[in-house]
Amino acid sequence: MATVAARPRLRVGVVKMASCDGCQLTLLDLEDELLALGERFDIIEFPEASSLRSHGPFDVLLVEGSISTPDQAAEIVELRAKARLLVTIGACASYGGIQALRNWSDHDVFRAAVYAHPEFVDSLATATPVSEHVKVDAELHGCPISPEQLREVLVSVAVGRRPQIREESVCIECKRRGSVCVMVAQGIPCLGPVTQSGCGALCPAFGRGCYGCFGPREQANTRSLSDTFVAGGREGEDISRLFAGFTGWAPPFREVIREFGGPPGMTPAGSTEGERDVRG
Amino acid sequence: MVNEEYLPYAPYPSPTGTAVAAPPAHGGAGPSSGPWFLARANLGLLLDLLGEDGRTVIGPTVVDGAVVYAEITSEDDLPIGIGDVQSPGHYGLVSRGDRRVFDYTVGPLSPKRWTFPPVVALHVGRRDGRAVSFEAALVDPPKLAFFGVRACELAALGIQDRVFLGGPYTDEDYRARRRNALVVAVNCTTSASTCFCTSMGTGPEVRGGYDLALTELDEGFVIRSGTPEGADLIARLPLRGADAGQMFRAAEEVGKVAATIGDPVPTAGLHDRLLAQFDSPQWAKVAERCLSCANCTMVCPTCFCSSVTQRSDLDGGVSTSDRVWDFCFTAGFAKVAGGNFRSRPRDRYRQWLTHKFATWVDQFGTFGCVGCGRCIAWCPVGIDIREELLAVAPPLAARPEPARPQPIAATPGSYATARIVSVRNETEDVTTLTVGDVDPAFLAGEFGQFAMVAVPAFPPLPISISRFGRDAIDLTIRAAGPATAAIIGMEPHDEIGLRGPLGTSWPIERAMGHDVVIVTGGIGLAPLRPLIDELLAKRDHFESIRLYYGARTPSDHLYREELRAWAARGDVDVQLIVDRSGPGWTGPVGVVTHLFDKATWDGGRSLAFVCGPERMMEATVRALEVRGLSSDRIFVTLERHMECGIGLCGHCQTGRLFVCRDGPVFALSQLGDVFGREGM
Repeated sequence: MATVAARPRLRVGVVKMASCDGCQLTLLDLEDELLALGERFDIIEFPEASSLRSHGPFDVLLVEGSISTPDQAAEIVELRAKARLLVTIGACASYGGIQALRNWSDHDVFRAAVYAHPEFVDSLATATPVSEHVKVDAELHGCPISPEQLREVLVSVAVGRRPQIREESVCIECKRRGSVCVMVAQGIPCLGPVTQSGCGALCPAFGRGCYGCFGPREQANTRSLSDTFVAGGREGEDISRLFAGFTGWAPPFREVIREFGGPPGMTPAGSTEGERDVRG
Repeated sequence: MVNEEYLPYAPYPSPTGTAVAAPPAHGGAGPSSGPWFLARANLGLLLDLLGEDGRTVIGPTVVDGAVVYAEITSEDDLPIGIGDVQSPGHYGLVSRGDRRVFDYTVGPLSPKRWTFPPVVALHVGRRDGRAVSFEAALVDPPKLAFFGVRACELAALGIQDRVFLGGPYTDEDYRARRRNALVVAVNCTTSASTCFCTSMGTGPEVRGGYDLALTELDEGFVIRSGTPEGADLIARLPLRGADAGQMFRAAEEVGKVAATIGDPVPTAGLHDRLLAQFDSPQWAKVAERCLSCANCTMVCPTCFCSSVTQRSDLDGGVSTSDRVWDFCFTAGFAKVAGGNFRSRPRDRYRQWLTHKFATWVDQFGTFGCVGCGRCIAWCPVGIDIREELLAVAPPLAARPEPARPQPIAATPGSYATARIVSVRNETEDVTTLTVGDVDPAFLAGEFGQFAMVAVPAFPPLPISISRFGRDAIDLTIRAAGPATAAIIGMEPHDEIGLRGPLGTSWPIERAMGHDVVIVTGGIGLAPLRPLIDELLAKRDHFESIRLYYGARTPSDHLYREELRAWAARGDVDVQLIVDRSGPGWTGPVGVVTHLFDKATWDGGRSLAFVCGPERMMEATVRALEVRGLSSDRIFVTLERHMECGIGLCGHCQTGRLFVCRDGPVFALSQLGDVFGREGM
């Protein structure tokens, strides 16, 4: 092991934008290997675990959260410049998160409804994925991310290989696990077939349809799936609600939401304007 | 009905090395194999015996709304009085209120889960300085008894035996698991709408590979043994000989199931039929619905593909490798560093279906399908493999002939009259007549076909139909002589004589899912216009569409307004060129092939439709072949002198073909060296 030990420790940072912190806590969920991680990685910025601050540079920068404020939009550009590898962690950083539902609505109406003094709130009209602002080297999906996948990314950087993260549907984890398909056997709408695996098919194992928190998989045929939901008697908002979750802003899901009249609860009420171009 | 050649029951080596003998047919059994009768009340004793022998029993039980295989310990775990209803994309349980335990059909799980588990440890690799070592995982499977295994599932085990144990290298993990499993089979006395074991020759009656086989009657079970292990269990159970009535009813129940299922997938010639359809447009059609989620392959009791995963420690010193189920539907399955050999779902579906029903036969001597119907029921969007097989590779008798509307005025002497609705000058010498009151056969005509057009006192002329409207057709005609001048000179309300539609058409179906390239010159656009109308009407079914159109001068382009409209759509690449420039022309000048000499598109995924003077088509074909289009993907339409239009007058013969009857649309490969031999 002498050759390995001689390598310098990799400088890792964890930062957050608009998010709940659940994904960065996943790092602490790697309980059994935290000590080994500490030997291999120098975690120089990780607000959930340490009050130490750093200005980089980072070998690996894990970014949680979507870009929701002008400050964040500026900060992510600065952080990118300091990071050799930038990895987004979670549905917010990778797809915009649940807060991206506001992208369909009138931002000012929301702001006025929630805050007594909306003028004090300096936020963008949209919540967008990090990749719409800077180059991203890898994305981890999920709400929250999978500890196993986070570990795999760190190990692959340490070892110098590609992370082995399988591109496949949630169905594959579901059937490997031996669960009975909730859609076929119980008629529960499930996004599993169009969603990237990684969660271990947790929801279907407990009799719930997948709500797509790992986001669309490659070749996500959302059209065929929504056609099937329609054939099963669902309509309009019922279908857009299924897709308008943590990864609703991801293009294949966004398309379905638009087609079925936008996410439920859009403002102004009854608006059918649909999405706006976030970069326009 | 059944293609005996591919049955999985040709004697195959059993996992233990001794040949598995086919069991005797009903009624012809010797004393040791039965048939015996097991009273319903004693079924639990059989489970107890298996337990006493140290076997974990994997049998049917209800979990989360389905009958699945799971570890069971007593009769109470069985699905007593439970049945199921299955259809494409749907599975549901029903309560029958009786005591029968096997009146369900197959659920989502099969014994494969235990003989070929989803995850199996392979080895642990270690690196110590410069040395590496690999320690193979121990294979120590539990002793199992599969309980309630159906005929199709036994056939699937037989197929997996061939896959894993039949070749020069064998899978020792599979061998150990298989050897350690005893099989209690059940003849099917009920079927689901998704079943097609009868077509695949695997059921509903078990034909081999079991230790014990049961047939359920209301009062109990007719039971027989197929191996010494089975006979040992028989000896320890309280049985009496099955009487003739019981044996008759057992055979009758199973026979009824076979009759109910019928023969939904005719397998005669299926291997060859399927392999001939590598380019079928049906692959693109099914891919519109296919989610490439892999559920079909996961529930399939024979699918055996896998990948190897590594999980290494933080410095790569120790890594554990597992074999995991993998599927031809996943993104990474056919990926290499430079790209993905099967990036599109249609390619993945084709790979799966052709493997199951064709290339599996070449590899292992049986179909890879046992007709259990799981892939139909458990497809989230309900794709029915039986329908796909019939659509992709219809049996010879059912193969639809290319639709040739029978023209009423078919004989050379008879013409039906039609009335000119409007006349429109396209260019200085080209005119389009819209003709109404036409024989209905014209309205059902196909793109690329032509009409014989007659005016008294002039010889009839073959004219391609340049549009099929709702109640009229267009004929676009160039003034080339007295006869054409006579036709062009007619006015609205004048009548003309028509015969047709005649000849072959552009094979638009073959272009579905492909890039489409159309190359034409001058009046050659006329027979292509109905094709373009159709391509645009069904735009989603095609990839890119490119139109390259040359003419002598800018004012010789036909349908100029439509050309502009097509270009304005944004989803068709329309490029024009002229031999000689003219007033206002800012486009390119030269021959039509110049338009794509330097283009970057790849012809390997394209179909081309070409119409123009034969010399122009020769040059075009050469340019297309350089771009990677093979001759079976290039279609041309030929012009010849015709008097009859139906292959009787002899004028249009070229080589062994009559252009009117065998053409005018030909695949280049069909023409061979005839193409261009007589060209003008």
